[in-house]
Amino acid sequence: MLYFTLASKAYSRNLQYRGAHMVHNLASAMFGYMYACLWIGIGADHTLGEYGTQGMISYIAFTQSSLWISGFLTNGLGIPLSVRTGQIALDLMRPVHLFTHLMAREWGQIAYQFVYKSIPIYLLFSIVFSLHWPSDVSTLFYAALGLAGAAYLSICMNYIIGATSMWTTESSWLHWGNHAMMNLLAGFFIPLEWLPNWLEQLAWISPYPFLLYVPTRIYLGFEDGSLLWGTLLWCVFMTLICLVITQVLRRKVEVQGG
Amino acid sequence: MKRTSWFHLYKMLIRTSIRSRMQYKFNFIMASVLAALIQISEFLMVALVLHRFGAIKGWSLHEIGYLFAIMTLSKTLYRTFGNEVHHLEKYLVNGELDQLLTRPMPVLLALLPQNFRIMAGEVLQGGFILCWSLAGMMYSGQIGWIAIPFSLLIILTGAVILFSIGLATATLGFWTTRIEELQTITEDAARTAAQYPLTLYPKWMSGILLTVIPVGFVNYIPSLYLLRGEGGAWVLVAVAAVAVLSLAASLRFWQFGLTKYQSTGS
Repeated sequence: MLYFTLASKAYSRNLQYRGAHMVHNLASAMFGYMYACLWIGIGADHTLGEYGTQGMISYIAFTQSSLWISGFLTNGLGIPLSVRTGQIALDLMRPVHLFTHLMAREWGQIAYQFVYKSIPIYLLFSIVFSLHWPSDVSTLFYAALGLAGAAYLSICMNYIIGATSMWTTESSWLHWGNHAMMNLLAGFFIPLEWLPNWLEQLAWISPYPFLLYVPTRIYLGFEDGSLLWGTLLWCVFMTLICLVITQVLRRKVEVQGG
Repeated sequence: MKRTSWFHLYKMLIRTSIRSRMQYKFNFIMASVLAALIQISEFLMVALVLHRFGAIKGWSLHEIGYLFAIMTLSKTLYRTFGNEVHHLEKYLVNGELDQLLTRPMPVLLALLPQNFRIMAGEVLQGGFILCWSLAGMMYSGQIGWIAIPFSLLIILTGAVILFSIGLATATLGFWTTRIEELQTITEDAARTAAQYPLTLYPKWMSGILLTVIPVGFVNYIPSLYLLRGEGGAWVLVAVAAVAVLSLAASLRFWQFGLTKYQSTGS
């Protein structure tokens, strides 16, 4: 119940800024539109593998909309900020585990972004590019599962990034480094099979493909749900890291003078 | 006050800003490295596609690298001197602009040196891609050495155009207070769009990028002449004219906007 309240509070706090977020959605959609135009340009001279031009447009539309679920999360789940303000000492004193506490809040944030960002942007793309929606219920189910797993993975990764600010007092460079990796290894703009071999292999030993590429492939009907085992495996592994890191972090906390 | 003493004051304020920035050396170095990393990943994303497919609408990797580098360096030059124009929202929301208004100097002159931003990462990254694409095109005989001074010139005119767009957008904040969302469209999205040849986009969109938000004049239009020999040397003169006109127009708009400024109560 507590967790649900935390999540719903994070959700309703965002509701105050709906208007501004809608303007921001336009900008986000413009980025997606631009990337789609790039693929249309390339598709004019080349056949685009199993996707075809229309398939690549659907691909970009889905990854651009999904960024709000697994890409744009609160920087370090807010840990860097609370380290700087000293709030972290209070957060650690609460009778709730820091990881689950911050996670519940982030789920509220993601739920909001899904409803007010991903869906409007995808609907806009659907109209502009006349996208086809999958008719098979199981495809939608597995894609939703893939996205939920991606969101969870991303929460864990942001938690780990945030936790490093206990040591460095500045983790924004890791946050941006994470974004750079998303650009290249998550299949945001270019499907992984078109990367040079070594980079593709590197991507598959990282969790990044499970953030965007896997849900997108499932949604477009190129994969069944079997890749979701990978998502599950990474989720378990990341959870363990987050729990261990919290233990270490508890001992590390230092309150700077106020 | 005389013009020379304004300049002297401006130089002094910039020196102070740099000194305050250098108090956090580790942060400065990390921020530079991460900026370079982000830039690399953005360019690599497209470079990988070009590596696989050869060219986009007849534009080679070197040519697109050139568009990309000119845009990066122009933006870097603009943000080095005009970063606070981009962050005007902070001054509007916190009421900090009031302090600047009381100073016995033009507001813009007081605002700009508040944070002189040294963007070593962007300079490194943009400079590297620029040298690489120029060298590639010179090697294949596509362009001559004259392209080098011209490139420096269009980086300068590009920075003026981007500054003008930034200033005009910021000025709208005098009415709306919040401008961040709008900046994402007029500055970030528009600039990213112009990193690629404008022929990729439908007519209405390339039209907007050449008129309402003239980012096309930063890199695309000059490249048509410099890299592909379309038009004549007059293209560069026209680009410089666009830069001067946009600057004049945005400064006028800024002056007008200032008269509409209402401080936010706290």
